[in-house]
Amino acid sequence: MKILLKLIILILPASFIWMFFLLLTEDDSIIGADYRNFALPEFNLEQLDESIFIDSSDLGDDYIINVWASWCITCRVEHPYLMSLNNKGVPIIGLNYKDEKNDALEWLSKFGNPYERIIHDYKGTLALDLGVTGAPETFLVQNGKIIAHYQGEINESIWNEVFSPIIEEKELF
Amino acid sequence: MIIEISHFLSILSTGLFFLVGSFALTTNNTPYTSNLISRTYSHAFLFLSSSFLIYIWLAITDNFSVQYIANHSNSALPTFYKISSIWSAHEGSMFLWIFFLALWGFIFNIKIKNAEILKPKTMGIISLIIVGFLLFLLITSNPFITILPIAPLNGADINPVLQDPALAIHPPTLYLGYVGFVIPFACSLAFLINGDPDAKWEKLVNKWSVSAWVFLTVGITLGSWWAYYELGWGGYWFWDPVENVALMPWLAATAFLHSLSVSIKSSQLRTWTILLSITVFSLSLFGAFIVRSGIIDSVHSFANDPQRGLYLLAFIAVIIAASLSLFVSRLSLIKPSGNIKTFSKQSFISINNIFFVTLIFSVMLGVTYPLIYEYLYDQKISVGAPFYNAIFIPIVILASIFLFFSVDSKWSRSIDFRIFTKPIVLSLFFALTSTFAIYFIFKTNNIAILLTIFTGLIVIIRYLIEVWTALVYKKYLNVFSAIAHFALGLLLVSISFNSLLSTERALNIKINEFEEYKDLTIYFKDIRVRKDSNYDAIKAEFNIKDKYGNNFDLSPEKRRYFTRGQITTETAIYISPLRDIYLTIGDQLEDGSWIVNVQINFLIRWIWFSACLMAFAGIVLIFSNRKSNI
Amino acid sequence: MRYINIFLIFFSLLVSSGTVYEFSNDEDEKRFNKLLNDIRCPKCTSGSLSSSNAPISEDLKQKIAEMINSNKTDNEIKEYVTKRFGKDSLYEPEFSRETYILWFSPFLVLILGLFFFLLRRKI
Repeated sequence: MKILLKLIILILPASFIWMFFLLLTEDDSIIGADYRNFALPEFNLEQLDESIFIDSSDLGDDYIINVWASWCITCRVEHPYLMSLNNKGVPIIGLNYKDEKNDALEWLSKFGNPYERIIHDYKGTLALDLGVTGAPETFLVQNGKIIAHYQGEINESIWNEVFSPIIEEKELF
Repeated sequence: MIIEISHFLSILSTGLFFLVGSFALTTNNTPYTSNLISRTYSHAFLFLSSSFLIYIWLAITDNFSVQYIANHSNSALPTFYKISSIWSAHEGSMFLWIFFLALWGFIFNIKIKNAEILKPKTMGIISLIIVGFLLFLLITSNPFITILPIAPLNGADINPVLQDPALAIHPPTLYLGYVGFVIPFACSLAFLINGDPDAKWEKLVNKWSVSAWVFLTVGITLGSWWAYYELGWGGYWFWDPVENVALMPWLAATAFLHSLSVSIKSSQLRTWTILLSITVFSLSLFGAFIVRSGIIDSVHSFANDPQRGLYLLAFIAVIIAASLSLFVSRLSLIKPSGNIKTFSKQSFISINNIFFVTLIFSVMLGVTYPLIYEYLYDQKISVGAPFYNAIFIPIVILASIFLFFSVDSKWSRSIDFRIFTKPIVLSLFFALTSTFAIYFIFKTNNIAILLTIFTGLIVIIRYLIEVWTALVYKKYLNVFSAIAHFALGLLLVSISFNSLLSTERALNIKINEFEEYKDLTIYFKDIRVRKDSNYDAIKAEFNIKDKYGNNFDLSPEKRRYFTRGQITTETAIYISPLRDIYLTIGDQLEDGSWIVNVQINFLIRWIWFSACLMAFAGIVLIFSNRKSNI
Repeated sequence: MRYINIFLIFFSLLVSSGTVYEFSNDEDEKRFNKLLNDIRCPKCTSGSLSSSNAPISEDLKQKIAEMINSNKTDNEIKEYVTKRFGKDSLYEPEFSRETYILWFSPFLVLILGLFFFLLRRKI
């Protein structure tokens, strides 16, 4: 009995310390990426550049949703990469988040438009339903389901780490 | 440059402390060596404190060639905050920690005679711990780094949230508590090394331990009070990881004090007492590790740095490994101490130890579980208030019921089996009727709250009866115990009522209009812009009337600080004996109205009052002169 | 479509009345406040929704108020939040096989401790 207690007294703290050692030295998985899986929420919002309403059926089967705004500085940084993605044939749907229509359109005409279509989410309702906490954020949608989500600016390395593996595995685009 | 003198003095003191430590642990104990160790320790402390005082001087005189001071202070700050900016971030607060550690050792050094057998080894162990921390400071967290050749003209402003008197004294008070437990820790190890089972280390460290406990209690209470009025959320305890790592040493310390009293009185539970003394200090170190390693996200964390985390972890591992190995190998030193009688006071305290260990275990589990879960399942979870409440409420209630019955227990004698004595019956009766009354008046079905109120009441009433009996029949009363436990009962009742009765709502009001909430009529008088030395603010002025005839003004603000552009909300609180009226302003809506958050917090001041009362009980003990030292 | 209508109705309601989050009874308001305390702010390092006034927190609070008013249960609301923001948005850890140890071990420790105490009575 006493031996058992002695063992517990020695081993318990030791294992705790060992656990913390492991935690401190392990490599982090990519911060900002999550693979939570859920159906694309229903919505019916205005398109940015035309006075028509669109919903999920207008978007196609597989595509990227990119959350952006004219007030978002980081969005400008990721913009060139989005243009290059678009050139490679990746369908990108824009979600204009809590932005004034005129500001958004001006921004696009100044920097270029990588989006097939753009949803104007003025109040941020669709964004909230998607779990967006700010801009820029990017979602990968397959058959009406969200399968990947990245918070932050995407570039070549993020794309290759977070999205490419899934795209290749599921043979999208 | 003066900073280099301060730097040099710290390095010098590291060397001297190492000398003291290594000498004390390897030499025989003679009057000569004991004297030498004591004096050298004082010299080492002299160097260290000079280094620290010079550092403070440099902060007060705006010496921005020191990188840390440049990063955390500013010439526009009042002197008080220039000083407190020293402990506003990692390097400086570590320096303060070490200084306090050495300070406790110094005071112990002065007050305890050199002839005391355990003293030299105690000083030695303290010295080596100081060396470990000083090396950590100098190598990984150097506060003495300079910006040369051109020092900045002015410093960066510290986080405006930190410019607050309560927050300025919260870390020092807390640290004094944490590091104070090095005394019993070192002394218990000295006892184990020394090998004489009759050496009464427990008696030696008693008042020191209580003092450290008082500081820890007050430090935690200050943190809670500050968070309440500063953060705008109106809560007083969030079970945030950093709060929890302060709670764990406190729980261990409280258990330790109880166990200590038994060991002093009847030389029983000595094994528990040593183990608890090692546990308290280890948990203090563990707390430092968690906060500074960046391993857990929290509002409180200092800058993250895995390298520092690894060093601290290694250091803590060494200390814990050494002390526990020593403990395990010298376990046989402690002679069997005779049976503990059924439900004697010792028995109750022994059971109490088990309750406390369970609570410490639960907090540790809650803090580390998200990390374990993420490691095992690659997913994140949070462990917060619902978990801790679910664990603490039943266990604290149970422990308090044991406390209630323990009042009648006797030292070294089985409890009188007439369990239902007059005081017990009276307490149960009054508590039960009060609880039923509360149930009917407030129409609550919340069993947890009702049970907690009931438990708090039986403790309160029992101790009131105890005090009354002592006064009227001139019976002996352990004043410390009575005040502290009465305070615990009061704490339980206050927390329960606060949870039961407090309400809040977000209103939107236009200027010159009013809104009603519960019994309050809130009239929005005006909103003005005002400017101060390092921020400008929007100040909203309200006049509030309640149904009790009170009429008062509250002016919550939103501030924007210049140097960092940070926006903070300042709460406005009206304090009355039973409740706080708590106001903050939110954003302005499109129609011109402003969002106003109103909270009515019941008995919240009583919660801190209870905690302070507990600390006061400790102070009473420290200054009492009774020989029994309990 | 329904979402938009409900949202617009509540938005206009809140502009005209004095309460930001309207509920039809006290119970609902209490539920609301409790949920705000138990759900993590999606954007903050640490802190509940009730302690945050970040824009995303405000949006989420609005959504939760709506859901309460459309008679959604607490569980449905929590599911909504966790689906989008992750399991760690709830301060109450789930009660599942992976967390049995978390919920039960404190009581296990207590029972074992008291049991050994009764057994030995010579501690």
